[in-house]
Amino acid sequence: MILSSTKELKDKGFEQILDFFRKKSLWMLHYCTGCGAVELPPTMTSRWDMERFGMGPMATPRQADLLLITGYLSVKSLKRVIYTYEQMQEPKWVIAFGSCPINGGIYYDSYSVINRLALYLPVDLSIEGCMPRPEAIIDGFTKLMKAIEKGEAVGYKKYKENYEWYKKNQREVLERTTPVL
Amino acid sequence: MEQKELIEHIEKNFKYKKEIKVIDGKQFTITVEKDKVLNLLSFLKLIDFKQLALITAVDWIDEKKFEIVYILFSYSHIQQILVKTFVDRDNPQVETVKNLWDVASMYERDVHEFFGIDFIGNDDLRPLILHNWKDLPPLRKDFDSLKYSNKMFGKFKKDEEI
Ligand code: SF4
Repeated sequence: MILSSTKELKDKGFEQILDFFRKKSLWMLHYCTGCGAVELPPTMTSRWDMERFGMGPMATPRQADLLLITGYLSVKSLKRVIYTYEQMQEPKWVIAFGSCPINGGIYYDSYSVINRLALYLPVDLSIEGCMPRPEAIIDGFTKLMKAIEKGEAVGYKKYKENYEWYKKNQREVLERTTPVL
Repeated sequence: MEQKELIEHIEKNFKYKKEIKVIDGKQFTITVEKDKVLNLLSFLKLIDFKQLALITAVDWIDEKKFEIVYILFSYSHIQQILVKTFVDRDNPQVETVKNLWDVASMYERDVHEFFGIDFIGNDDLRPLILHNWKDLPPLRKDFDSLKYSNKMFGKFKKDEEI
């Protein structure tokens, strides 16, 4: 990545350099409540060996860059996910696994599982499948890396800009005071 | 005791109206009137049915009844008994069994939350599992889960923009 002028260097060059390094060292925090979590151990360990991409598991949200939502989210765990997400340092990205966080998946008619994660948190990447195979997961990760390098994965900035909108949606399900039906 | 002896023993010593049905070699059900549940359960506890494995309920909406099921297990007889009783759906109330088994107070909270059945004498029926629930208890048959989900979490449409 060669920068053409000093002005460009000043404007976004620095950020670009940072992005280049960021994509090479992603620490992920996996929120393993859904069934999709089962596919993560083989992805992490020797069979598919995720660490060759510079990715590794991290124990605390404060030091993680990636939040993996591995499947369905009940209202109760949504609350915890939001806490976790807001604790993470920027830059941070969210990956949603499987069809459940996209449209509810097989829980589309459940009274306790949310249908669409993108209403409550900025999702940078969704990996379809019920559940996605390690190949699909790694494919998703490489896509995210490319997006980070190009500076396109800016979910956390979107979250800050549209904070009110996200909060409104979150409050609608978490702090309801009247019956729905 | 073998299952046969056990049933004979219960038939002989528990005099109130009841109906015993054998499911298989290890399980049978006893159906009793609502106000005799406590008598039966304490009787069964005396003959070594020490473990209350579960309290649950079934919603028979057409018959306007809730069926409450107590599942008991005995380690010495190696038998499982399902004690069943029916309560009125419009006014669902039974007496608590938390004085017989401590664990019952949790099961009763659970059944209260998901079916709206009141357990008289159990003063701790706070919500246990659901988050901030304001509607009908969700496992009742007249609760429309799909409609709730669409209204609450948004219906998924194909060309919708986020
Ligand atoms: S998408 Fe499938 S595998 Fe993933 S959480 Fe939903 S039901 Fe489970």
